[in-house]
Amino acid sequence: MIQTIRVIQKNEEEDLRGSSIFEGVRSNRISKVRTVKVYRLEGIDKIRAKILTEKLLSESIDQIYTINKPIFNKKSKVAEISYKPGVMNPEVASILKSAKDLGVKLQACDSSWEYGFFGSLDKEEISSIVESLRLYNPLIEYIVGKPPKTLLTRGRVGPTVKVRLRDVGDEQLMVLSKDKLFLNLEEMKVIQNYFRKIKRDPTDAELETLAQTWSEHCAHKTFKAKLIVDGKVKKPLIERIKKEAWKHPKNIVSAFVDNSGVMKFFDGFSICGKVETHNSPSAIEPYGGAMTGSGGVFRDVLGTGQGAKAIASTDIFCFADPSLLKKDLPPGCLPPDYLLKRVVAGVRDYGNRVGIPTNNGSVHFHNDFRAKPTVIVGAYGIFPTRLAKKGQPRTGDLVIAVGSRTGRDGIHGATFSSAEMTERTISVNSSAVQIGNAIEEKRTFDAILEARNLGLIRAIQDCGAGGFSSAIGEMGEKTGVRVDLLVAPLKYHGLSPWEIWVSESQERMILAVAKKNVKKILEICKKFNAEASVLGKFTNTKKLEVYYGEKLVADLSMEFLHHGLPQRKMTAHNSSLHDSPLLASSHIGRGIKGEGPEAPKNHRDWINVFKKVLSHGNVASKEPIVRLYDHSVQGTNDLQPYSGEKLDGPNDAVVLRPFLNKKYGVVISHGLNSVLNNIDPYWGSIWAGIEALSNYVSVGGNIEEASLINNYIWPFPNEESLWSLDKSVDAVVDLMKGIGIPVVSGKDSLSSTYRKGDVVIKIPPVLCISVFGKIPDATKTITSDFKKTGSVICLVGSLDIDSMGGSVYFDIKSLLGAKVPKVDLKEFKKIAKTIYRGIQNGEILSAHDISEGGPISAIFDMCVGGDMGANLKLPNSKRLDYFLFNETTGTFIVEVENEELAKKLFQGVPLKIIGKTQKEKRIEVRNSQKVFSADLYELKRAWKAPMQRLFA
Amino acid sequence: MNKKPKALILKADGINREEEMVFAFNIAGADAKLVHINDLRSKNEKLGEFQILGIPGGFAYGDDVVAGKVLAVEMISYLGEELRKFVERSNTAIIGVCNGFQVLIRTGLVPFGNVGNMDATLTNNDSGHFECRWIRVKVEKGSKSNFLTGMENEIIWYPVAHGEGKFFARPNVLSQIEKDNLVAFRYVDEKGLPTQKYPDNPNGSINAIVGISDETGRVLGLMPHPECFVRIEQHPNWRREAVKKPARHASQLAGVAGRPQGLPLFENIVDFVNQ
Repeated sequence: MIQTIRVIQKNEEEDLRGSSIFEGVRSNRISKVRTVKVYRLEGIDKIRAKILTEKLLSESIDQIYTINKPIFNKKSKVAEISYKPGVMNPEVASILKSAKDLGVKLQACDSSWEYGFFGSLDKEEISSIVESLRLYNPLIEYIVGKPPKTLLTRGRVGPTVKVRLRDVGDEQLMVLSKDKLFLNLEEMKVIQNYFRKIKRDPTDAELETLAQTWSEHCAHKTFKAKLIVDGKVKKPLIERIKKEAWKHPKNIVSAFVDNSGVMKFFDGFSICGKVETHNSPSAIEPYGGAMTGSGGVFRDVLGTGQGAKAIASTDIFCFADPSLLKKDLPPGCLPPDYLLKRVVAGVRDYGNRVGIPTNNGSVHFHNDFRAKPTVIVGAYGIFPTRLAKKGQPRTGDLVIAVGSRTGRDGIHGATFSSAEMTERTISVNSSAVQIGNAIEEKRTFDAILEARNLGLIRAIQDCGAGGFSSAIGEMGEKTGVRVDLLVAPLKYHGLSPWEIWVSESQERMILAVAKKNVKKILEICKKFNAEASVLGKFTNTKKLEVYYGEKLVADLSMEFLHHGLPQRKMTAHNSSLHDSPLLASSHIGRGIKGEGPEAPKNHRDWINVFKKVLSHGNVASKEPIVRLYDHSVQGTNDLQPYSGEKLDGPNDAVVLRPFLNKKYGVVISHGLNSVLNNIDPYWGSIWAGIEALSNYVSVGGNIEEASLINNYIWPFPNEESLWSLDKSVDAVVDLMKGIGIPVVSGKDSLSSTYRKGDVVIKIPPVLCISVFGKIPDATKTITSDFKKTGSVICLVGSLDIDSMGGSVYFDIKSLLGAKVPKVDLKEFKKIAKTIYRGIQNGEILSAHDISEGGPISAIFDMCVGGDMGANLKLPNSKRLDYFLFNETTGTFIVEVENEELAKKLFQGVPLKIIGKTQKEKRIEVRNSQKVFSADLYELKRAWKAPMQRLFA
Repeated sequence: MNKKPKALILKADGINREEEMVFAFNIAGADAKLVHINDLRSKNEKLGEFQILGIPGGFAYGDDVVAGKVLAVEMISYLGEELRKFVERSNTAIIGVCNGFQVLIRTGLVPFGNVGNMDATLTNNDSGHFECRWIRVKVEKGSKSNFLTGMENEIIWYPVAHGEGKFFARPNVLSQIEKDNLVAFRYVDEKGLPTQKYPDNPNGSINAIVGISDETGRVLGLMPHPECFVRIEQHPNWRREAVKKPARHASQLAGVAGRPQGLPLFENIVDFVNQ
């Protein structure tokens, strides 16, 4: 029997969720909305239920409860939202545990939310409100109709099925592949041949293993492909990146071989970085998608070497304009404001709970992200260098799984994320979604780091895409491995062996452990409440052998699994795309290419344009988002996301000291600008790299002690998209060459195309460059806020003045432009070194790089931080607007005490002294006459409004 | 010379900022040790052998049901007697920060020391969301807490990072708390006056209450994180002049005079148990 407990806040005003839904409904037929927490407890009587309710589930100070009774009178209609059976409700484990602590043994339990609507609406109207307010996500939740009779999930284990493969034709092969394996005909035929050769048909588990290992997501087939670009043969993309990277090995500890890239730090320590995307899951279930994206990238850091401790997290998103009209939303896609809020909530709830500071990120808007958003999450870690190299399991080592149990959630994540998105994606691939459990991850981390400190781990791998199949299959590549899936702890009964094998249930790590250390590791896991089980053994057979009890469910040669995949040959072509009119981000449909806007005519015109630029999504303050993330946890931040008199001046990068008692620090930043890639993928990509480095330089980072991470989020690689991807890779190679530092890690996600009938939506290609590096003294860093009145404001670097293509200024005029700003890498390097020196000497008071919104927006940011004004004196020019809103990256606004010092400091690099800081809180621009004078607080309101509206 | 007092910093699933608390106590002169609650339950470690108990922040057991509840239930169930004895000794100190404060209040240790009975609560921020920012708090003069010596009436800056930090108690309980001088800190505005206004009061706490002590003055709970301001560089504005010089006026962002304002609290706790 189930005991049903309902708990509400006594005081209506304290029911924040209810009030916010009520505000969302805005119907005069509803007088109020209340929310009720519902608990269902199975296997106890009412007396025990009452004990649990009073001691655990409710608090009499501000709550009331009922047992087995509705909590409202008949004037209200209720809708209850619950997780679907099979989707993990993270709260359940805590309730079971706490009940046990109170001496009550539950057989099962669940929790859910009930919404009580008071007024004259009928059931159907309530349902439509629940739908339109998106109070639930039908992929993982449902509206409870009849209360469940039992919470115990039952199920019979499915059989392992042989799949007829050897004697089927091409058409049948592709039927097998579609919506499930996502392999092409050539690959399917290679598999068919293999099984013909070994004279049997594959099992379902074997096919799943191959599909996962060979998926674009795991095998990076495009990056490894033989390329023919505009008729010319070129080396595979990945080879070009690796080759150049290894020419700059000074700081590399490991690159491209482990779950993250590793560079030398100080005192025998190394730092590592990994940046991942989670676009596909986030497009259909943004909260779970973002959570599991964060969880996955944290595990990548833990899964590097013998285990690194995560010290920072970053988040970078691209969405359509949150005010996108409903009619412009493609079928099967979720609205951008909903996506943005839910993705932010996911990053917040995961990162905060795991205790990793989220202290660097950005949000970008372009309407071609309306079908598929870009969700990038990064993580950085630290560990002793002796434990920083990838471990190699030895024959006889045991395979230990640590962390969450395995469920049906997240099956086919690796294969599904490799495919284009269609209007069917949501319904076909719903099982690819899962909800993370941050606390499970936290205890797993705590346990593994303790085991690492005792030297008990030989090798470690996280279960990400492809689950056990990917992690164990990869670890056993050189030796062979044998596992028994019957031993794996499951969330519920009834999983088929292949499902256990490829399930992407979150929060699981695989360890290779020498036999003598097993007992100790299991003890440590027990202490931290992390479940651990010995699944099998590394062998010397060079085979992957997967058992379910006595039954062999997969038996593949490692050679075929890891090296059987044929290299793709792909052609790239510069199509007419780049000559056709392109869209400004604010437009759906045909945009205007145009020559250039008219310059603002008068004082008022200038201020209006300036305010429009500041309130553009790419420039507007993101503070309301950042405040939701715990960026101060670990106490390591020496440079926070916001600083200044009112704590609202944005900074360019994070500086943190991983050890509280040591001065040395890590600097982390990033850059991207996808719209530029639409115009010119080469210079757009250079822009991303230099923007990332400029952010890094602005706070006091030394570019010679930095490493890069590159992430390519591209439309599906047809000939024209592959052409732009090839250009982007060329740019990254030139960037490494020009600056003299390596890329040490990266990832590609080449499926950001949406297709339905004739409708094709491609995202503007995203190259995100992340930078991480070391500085000997974290106190020699600076923030962007102006420090003093009367200081000199310097523009350092040269603006590519006519190249306004892709700028925010053009975008607010509904223009795109054809020329994007170029950067001289040599000159940039010189500037970067000069600024580094100036910061080291304490002669630069503040600095901010110029990016979206141009120099005037950078100066605005610095005024906000300093809570002071700026008085700019500029030479007369026809295009003062092109100067003030120019987005040439690699240029900086720098504050120094006086003119003399400025000239001394910036000898040999382009320098313009453009004005002074002032006490009066106005930004004033004049040439031979007054151009405009704007009130700082009025500008600030425009700059803050967009995100405040969304996140208030 | 005083021997370093032993501090037990509690570790449980989902606790974080524990290393910061260990660091803070160590530089304040204690000998701090991180102890997992399972080691207390199994008696591998004994609370009785320590003088200070620190419960750090975080999301113990995911803050499931309500923040700090599951850990509070566990502590009452398995360590209730030990906790009572610990508080009865006159030379001990307990501090709960953020999640630790939520745990203290749900065990009943603050405000009135009724282990197993809650007299006040910490509930959802009025804003309805998690908030990470630096805020201004004023140290209450005449507070019963034994850990505020030399800090009375000061306006100091601490970071907050929580979603369920709104202090609430029924009128009779609240007036008892005020009457007994159990309030230790209040959120104040630019003028230095207690405020209900967001974001100066980041959660809507009644009477602008930031933290309270118990009747013995040896148990203290607060929402902000003093352990995250024990180095001057942890402050977002340590590079600005105002931070380097003492404050002349409460409207100044932070007149911390080169001194990290979380440290005195830990030093006071160490001094107190050493007396």
